[in-house]
Amino acid sequence: MSKIYYKEHANEVELFEAAASMHLPILIKGPTGCGKTRFIEAMGEKLGRKVYTVVCHDDLSAADLVGRHLIDEGGTFWQDGPLTKAVRDGGICYLDEIIEARKDTTVVLHSLADYRRVLPIDRTGELIEAHPDFMLVVSYNPGYQNVLKGMKPSTKQRFISLSFTYPNADIEKEIIIKESGVNADIAQKLVEIAGEIRKLNDNEIEEAVSTRLLVYAAKLIVKGFDEYEACMHSIVESLSDDDEVIEVLKKLIDLHFHSKS
Amino acid sequence: MLEFEESIGKIWNHVLTKKTNTAYEDKRVFFEDKSKVLNIFYRLLGGENGKELHVTDKRFIDTSRTLLQKISGSGKIFFLAWQDETGVYLPSSLAYFDSHEQNSMMYIWLVAMATRFDRYRGNLVEKNFHASSELLNRYPGFIAFYKKAVDQLIEKNEKLSFVKSLDGENLTDEDYLEHLDLYPFPLWLYPPLSSKKKYSEFDDKDEPVRGNNQTEKIDTLKMKKQASQIDDKKQTDGLLAFLPDALMSIMEQVNVDRSEDDSFDEDALYNAEDLDEITLGQKKANLNARLKMDLDISSNSKEEYPIGKGYFIDEWDYSKDKYLKHYVCIKPLITTNIEPVAFPLHLKKIYKKIQAELDLMQLDRIKNTNLPYGDELNLDTWIEYKGHQNKSGHHQKFYTNFERKMRDMSTLILADISLSTEAAITQEIRVIDAIKDSLMVFSESLEYLEDRFAIYAFSSLKNTNVRFHIIKNFKEKYSDYVRGKIDNIKPGYYTRLGAAIRESSKILNKQQSLNKLLLIISDGKPNDVDRYDGRYGIEDTKKAILEAKKLGLVPFCITIDIEAKDYLSYLFGKNGYVVVRDSKKLPKILPEIYMSLTK
Repeated sequence: MSKIYYKEHANEVELFEAAASMHLPILIKGPTGCGKTRFIEAMGEKLGRKVYTVVCHDDLSAADLVGRHLIDEGGTFWQDGPLTKAVRDGGICYLDEIIEARKDTTVVLHSLADYRRVLPIDRTGELIEAHPDFMLVVSYNPGYQNVLKGMKPSTKQRFISLSFTYPNADIEKEIIIKESGVNADIAQKLVEIAGEIRKLNDNEIEEAVSTRLLVYAAKLIVKGFDEYEACMHSIVESLSDDDEVIEVLKKLIDLHFHSKS
Repeated sequence: MLEFEESIGKIWNHVLTKKTNTAYEDKRVFFEDKSKVLNIFYRLLGGENGKELHVTDKRFIDTSRTLLQKISGSGKIFFLAWQDETGVYLPSSLAYFDSHEQNSMMYIWLVAMATRFDRYRGNLVEKNFHASSELLNRYPGFIAFYKKAVDQLIEKNEKLSFVKSLDGENLTDEDYLEHLDLYPFPLWLYPPLSSKKKYSEFDDKDEPVRGNNQTEKIDTLKMKKQASQIDDKKQTDGLLAFLPDALMSIMEQVNVDRSEDDSFDEDALYNAEDLDEITLGQKKANLNARLKMDLDISSNSKEEYPIGKGYFIDEWDYSKDKYLKHYVCIKPLITTNIEPVAFPLHLKKIYKKIQAELDLMQLDRIKNTNLPYGDELNLDTWIEYKGHQNKSGHHQKFYTNFERKMRDMSTLILADISLSTEAAITQEIRVIDAIKDSLMVFSESLEYLEDRFAIYAFSSLKNTNVRFHIIKNFKEKYSDYVRGKIDNIKPGYYTRLGAAIRESSKILNKQQSLNKLLLIISDGKPNDVDRYDGRYGIEDTKKAILEAKKLGLVPFCITIDIEAKDYLSYLFGKNGYVVVRDSKKLPKILPEIYMSLTK
């Protein structure tokens, strides 16, 4: 089994392992493409636990997490949801973008996320005690929070929080090189460009360039694309639809990669 | 006869300026067309967030000129880039080079220089040299531009060749500094035009002093509009307009007090408009002028009663990076002797429409049955299905879903009623009227929705008097008297937004609701007569908003500022504001915004 590449930013691996051993749930905040999902997968692999990922959305109901009755020829039967599966058999249940789910949906997590570690299922009358290997991990992107959407404080305060940002320049460079195989000079340039784009505020672009996009750019360059072209398609066009912002970003890429003479 | 003289003059002037003019007119690039791009670029390269880009005024530098230039009067005025702590100032247009591309690249270069310039210490040459070297090093894209630009500039003026010989060692050499005085290098940044700092540090504690301390230093006032006019294609100017500049020196000086921009001395303003240039003595206004100003703009305070003597709150001073403790005095006011006012007739039609929209959004628990999937089984449909003879044709929709929407919401509306809201939108309607109308419609709508709300209005006169009008607090019942108070609102004074936000946050934070919305209705930037203007005001307001967010409040700004620029998103964040271009529509839009916010 190939090992998932994850480069530690700070002390998050240690914290995660500690939380896992003490049965504490974890909340991860961070912008898109900074490595949240990769981190969970890597940790799942490291701890030897299966990861159940649920991407949350507006219409996600408690039944989607816990499970529901389905019908077949014999009548109705109960089908476990991903959360219940992880609770029964052990594993990491990872709720991505939890803020997108309605607040009343996330309330089902409460009894799992504190000392009780039980999941009551109203519809079947069952009370499942969590498997020792069960771990609850949720994540969200603070940048996307719309004006009134937020997490209930009572939900929020049940988690150990890890705040992710984009990795610092040296680590990011290393990640780019490792993921794409591009040479160090170009990786350095990409990191510099990213550093500059990340200075823009949310008025100009919705969210800054992610490590993931930098890796894409690097991959295109390795594949033989011109640096400018690669950055245009992977970075500039993905970040904004605003003509003026695109013009500025183009200029920036041009300034960095323009003349090799 | 006169006409004839004039046209001869024009031709003469044209010939002369053409001969001495070394700009490429048809390749000219204007700042105005590029300002948004340049602003973004400035921030991209690490420029400070509170700063904005502006057009610079001309600066006079004595250069040794050719005889022709002397006669025509050109060659003495320069438009050079510079910056101070509040902004970056760039020429209104550039035409040094023979291609659009090169000229616009020069703007980008100047903006880039502005982001690096102050990172270095030393004299002007050292700073410029190091900043340029860093840019060329970091951005290979600049190299071709820079080489070409330097060559072309030197070709036009050999005196600039000193730039090429700079190598990091002779930077403090007197010779170079002297060259610099003679003929400025357009790719560099120069010291601020006017010592603006003196104005921004003007403190209201400074008593107006007459007689002593009158420095005779004369500065040139930055005047965006004028600068852009002058720098434009002004080839057809009459000879007379140029001649005095070169031959005789007439200097007109008018006492326009910059520190108190709003003193309404009509004659002085009229003269100022008429003048080619406003020269500005750094005198402070005398007492008479100040007194007059206060009288001029005082609002009708007949029925306003202060509640207590007022109390002091903090203000953020970005330049010192700390709070000024108990610096601002909030004076809560209540208006008495109010006549009850019925809901205005002219708004009834608008309100009817809004009400219909609100009806659609009634918030109840909605039960959806007969769904192919859902939270609950609907046994009725299941039984019906089971009992049905022809099963295959029957829908298998056995599920029920409950959707419940809740809105546990307290809203505090903070209206800016500074004097600027007196500006007319059309001949009949002023901004303040639109604000009043919308407050009426909005409170009516909120009452209808049974949401909790309060309304406050504010204006300010320096830090010592922030007038905080209580229109309706959270406890007060909405009634004809509340409408009477809205109706009675009169604009006056200035906009010390930060203080008003802090005070409102305090009130709103005491509410028990889950969601707390702070709705700010304003018509422009924060400003006041003291230093609360420009960056100071913006940074304080930003701080106040951050504090509100920390408390868990949701600040949202509705602005009628047609020229509202970048500062709004800097203050409120991308999703935190909306600009209403047509303020006549404000009464209708306000409830819509509210609904979309609280949906």
